[in-house]
This record gives sequence, C-alpha cells and structure tokens, in this order.
Amino acid sequence: MSKFLRSWESLLILILGITTAVNISLAPEFLTLQNQVNLFQLSIEKIIIATIMTLIIINGEIDLSVASIMGLSACTFGTIIDVGMPASLAILLCLGLGIMLGAINAFWITIIGIPSLVVTLASLIGYRGFARVLLEDRGITGFPDWFIALGRDGLIGSLPLSFFAFALLVATLSIVLHRTGFGREVFTIGNSAEVAHYSGLRVARVKSILFILSGGISAMAGLFYAARLASVRGDAAFGFELDIITMVLLGGVSIFGGKGSMLGVVLSILIVLNLRNGMALMNITGHIQTAVIGILLIASVLIPNMLERLRSVST
Amino acid sequence: MLKIRAIVAFAAVLISSVSVTADVQKGGTANLVLLPKFLGILPFDQARRGAEEAHKELQNKGSLDYIGPTPENSVAGQIEMLTTATTQKKNVVMLSNNAGDQIAAAAEAAQAAGTKVVTWDSPIPSGKGETVFVAQVDFGSIGVVMADMAHSIMGGSGDFAILSATPDAANQNAWIAAMKETLKGDKYKNLKLVDTVYGDDQAEKSYNAALALVDKHKNMKLIMAPTSVGIVAASKALQDEKLCDKIKVSGLGVPAEMVSYTMNGCAPEFALWSFVDLGYLTYYTSYALATSAIKGNIGDEVNAGRMGKFKIEADPGRKNTKRILMGPFTVYNKKNVEAAAK
Repeated sequence: MSKFLRSWESLLILILGITTAVNISLAPEFLTLQNQVNLFQLSIEKIIIATIMTLIIINGEIDLSVASIMGLSACTFGTIIDVGMPASLAILLCLGLGIMLGAINAFWITIIGIPSLVVTLASLIGYRGFARVLLEDRGITGFPDWFIALGRDGLIGSLPLSFFAFALLVATLSIVLHRTGFGREVFTIGNSAEVAHYSGLRVARVKSILFILSGGISAMAGLFYAARLASVRGDAAFGFELDIITMVLLGGVSIFGGKGSMLGVVLSILIVLNLRNGMALMNITGHIQTAVIGILLIASVLIPNMLERLRSVST
Repeated sequence: MLKIRAIVAFAAVLISSVSVTADVQKGGTANLVLLPKFLGILPFDQARRGAEEAHKELQNKGSLDYIGPTPENSVAGQIEMLTTATTQKKNVVMLSNNAGDQIAAAAEAAQAAGTKVVTWDSPIPSGKGETVFVAQVDFGSIGVVMADMAHSIMGGSGDFAILSATPDAANQNAWIAAMKETLKGDKYKNLKLVDTVYGDDQAEKSYNAALALVDKHKNMKLIMAPTSVGIVAASKALQDEKLCDKIKVSGLGVPAEMVSYTMNGCAPEFALWSFVDLGYLTYYTSYALATSAIKGNIGDEVNAGRMGKFKIEADPGRKNTKRILMGPFTVYNKKNVEAAAK
C-alpha cells in the first residue's frame, strides 16, 4: 500500500510541476508576490476545511454540510453584529455554534447510526436554510475594521491570519493522522468499522471527535470568509463542499476510507489552486475551468480504483 | 496671505469639480474586461455584442475580454475574476454584479491598484469600489411599467403573483419593491399581489414554480416575472398546460425568446431595454475612463457614438454613488415584438 501511495504522490508532484511550468511560461503575472498571495487567499477557507475533511474521508465518512456550516456561521456573525453586540463575542458564539452543529451531525451518525452521507446531506440543506431564513435577502456589512483587517491584511508580510491557520492545521492534523494512536484508529476504522469495533476501538468516539472538529473548523472558515469579503449574505460559501471534496479525493484519499495522506492532499490543493489561477490569468472562462477540474476529479477517483482492481487480479 | 490661501483653495475646489466633456479619442489603448453575472444566458451575450461593436468603432488597440463564471459558482467566481483582472493590471472591469457587497472588498482592492470598476445591469449596493454604474433604466420606473402592464392585461382588477430570480438578486428585489410602491396608487387598488416565488433563474425550477403558483392560487390571472429566464419558463409552462386563456404572463423578457408567446397570446405584453445598447454604452464609458477622457465625476459627459451624450449624475437609489442612466423602456406587444426579435 505504501508503494501505491508513494507512486500516487509522485504523480501529483509531476502534475504540480507541469502546471507550475505552464503557468510560469504562459502567464507573466503568475510568479508575482501579490498573485501568489491572492492564489491562496481566494480559496483559503476551502483549503482550511480540506484538512479536516481528509481525516473524515480516511475514516470512511463524509461531511457534506461544511459549506452550509460556514454560511450559517458567517450569517450568524452578521446578525449578531447587526444587533449591536461586540465582534469578539460574536466570534466566540459562532465557533460554539459550529461545534454544536458538528455535534448534531455526530449524534445522528454515531448514536442513531444513520450514514454520514444522508445525515450531512440533510444538514447541508437544513443549515443553509437557517442561514437564508436569518438574513432573507439582506446583505450585512459594517463589520469593525480590525475584524476586516484580520481577513484581508497581511499578519506577517503579505500573508493573512487565515494562511497561518491553514499551515497550523496541516501540521497538527498530519502529525495526529500519521504519528499518533488516534490517527491509527482513524485508518483502522476507515478500513472496516466492524473490525475496528470488535477489536475494541471506540468507533463512535473517534467519529464524533472528527465531526465536531469539522463543525468548529468550518465555522472558523466561515468567519474568515466574512472578514475577507467584509460582508455576508445568505448564499455565503454556497457550493464550496464540492471543491473541498474534490481537493481531498484528488490527493489520493480513497472515498471508501482507510487510505490517504495529508501530503497528498496538500499537493492536490496546490495543483487545484495553480490550475484555477493559471486558467484565470490566461482568460479561460468559467465553463472550461469547471470542466478541467471535473476531469481531474473523475481521473482521481477512477484511476486509483482501476489500479487497485488490476493489482488484485494479478495477485 | 490668508486671502491668497483662500483663493488657492477656491481655485482647487473649482478645478476638482469641473466636469469634463471631452470627445473620446479613437485608437487609444484600453485593456477592458466584460464580466457578466454568469455565462450562458442571452442578455449577457447581447451586451457582449454591444461592447464588441463599440470596441471596433473606437479602434481600441487594447483588448476586450469576455469572461464569466458558471451559474453555480457565480459569487466566488466573480470575486476571483475581478481579483485576477487586477493582477493583470487591466484598465477597467465592466461588472454586472451578482455578489452584492461581497465583491466590494475586491473592487476596492482593484481601485487601489489602478483598475477601475464600472458596473452595469446590477451595481454594488454600497457603491464601495465602484467608479460609476451604467443603469439600464430608472429602477423606480420599472415598478410603474410592470404595474401598468399588469393593469392593462388584467383589465384593471384581479389576483396576480410574481415569479422572480433568486431571493437575493439585488435588481429584481429593487424592482419588486418599486412595483409594490406603485401598487399603492389609486389606479391599481383592484390589483392584488397574492404571492412571490423564486425560480433562481433556472429554466426548470422557474417552470415548476409557475405551475405551483397555478395550483395554489385558483383565481390568479397573471404571473409577473421580472427576469428573462422566469418569463420564458412561465410562458412555456402555461402554454404546455393550455392555460393561456385563463392566465397570462408578463414581466421583463428578451424579444427573441418571447416572440412566439406574445404572438399566441400567452404573454401579450412585456418590457425590456436593449442589452446590446447597454453593453455599447458601458464600453464607451469605460473606454473614456481608461483613456482619461473623463475622470468619472458627477457632471462628466460621455459621448457614446450612435447613442448620443450621457451625463454622470448622483444615483438617487443609492447614497453617495454615481450613475449614468441609459433608459428608456420599450414595451413589446404583438405590434412590435416580431421586428425586435430579428
């Protein structure tokens, strides 16, 4: 398995090299510092969530509700500011809300035993519904300057706070996933929840922790989104879940669970961001951008499974 | 000394407020981007045609790019494309805004880096980061036109419903609000607005929303759809269900898409402005800004080729913002729709 992973990651490095080379040669603005910062900043909330999504999918589950939690958190923040309460309190409340929304997902998945695909599909729609009810067709602006600066301005150099949150999450979660007992449990459960259960692993506990973390991180991403755009609306972060899942699957994480690495996902994030940015700089229009990312996703889901089949036939 | 300072200050005020009426010079260099809400619907293609017409007329040595996001990625896509255009140091981005104030931050960053943002069709609500808004028609007058069409089609009384685009579409909401305001007038006292539903500017969703309205409101005589997608979908739904004798459709539509429904009586009257002209005027305005023929101050005049002269004025609908008003409306019916559809 490790051999397979190694080869998948080297394939990603190859693709990353090609996209970067093409971008540098065809788009003169690509290497400018401002563009490199923009490249991360425009998708920072998605890649933040991709880190925890990696653990969830390796665990054999999926969380479709992340973008709706983002939206609801951002809209709640806007509403709290709108009634005149301080932003610092609003931030705490929104993070708490995210943890609670994640806990609701976890309750239905682990205690009641409904598949996460179904539970989080329901909360994708439900949480988004709350966000829309909250703001209806209003947009809320007028956040405090320090809050907007957190989302937009560089904290160290040109890199905003959200970038460091991403880097910290990548570092922490890859240690947790690849170097700790909890990480091994995540893999074992992802391979077979039943086997894990009979070998005495606390399956429900691991899954609950992951979904609650996912809720909290998504709420934080929602706040970064609100700060970056200095405004919120009911459709904030609408549809982001697909881009996030695309990045994780392209990173070589198996949709069936039990396989994957943080390194692969980070490489895939870089590929997707480079591709999107390069296509935008070459004035390639939205439909084609979506098609290219779509083809990548199809390939990333199909090729590993095909290789797996071939391998099992030959042995 | 004080006197001199006062005179200097006064002169400075004079200079800064002097409006410019310079003819635009042909053959300049302006790199412009036309950024619609999303790709794949007719009005934006028409605006593109108008912009390309102006591009040729002005013999612009720079570029005109037409790029846009897909409908499901509209908000994030527009923000990304505006940011990219800033990186590319384009002179002006012509934006039909679908992101509300969420795009204001990117627009302000663009202005700071020297890329002007001219909105058309749909402005930035707060006006932050926006140089000027090229308004198709006066938003208040849309309310009157829609109320009058409803009045004439329903013979002065009856129930009707609105089929709109998305619940957060800024222009549709402004128009519906203007129409509700008009309906308070004595002339319209027997017109009753019974429902407002949303088809999200998707044909199938709008079609189903129209049928749901028919089932829900037995006495409904008219569906008013202030969106080019919704009006076609509603007309088709009523035609398919053979209900056009009982219930009519009206609103804002594109003649080429509406001609058959107007001729067969499903949609006897609808209104629109020319999107080709809107694209043309937006281009002339942006080119004049990019080549420094105008500064974008109130009172500046744009000499827009075949369309004549237009003045930048304060936008009465939004505080501290500027607009150029194109106007006027055309109401289409059996008499003129076929000619306009060609």
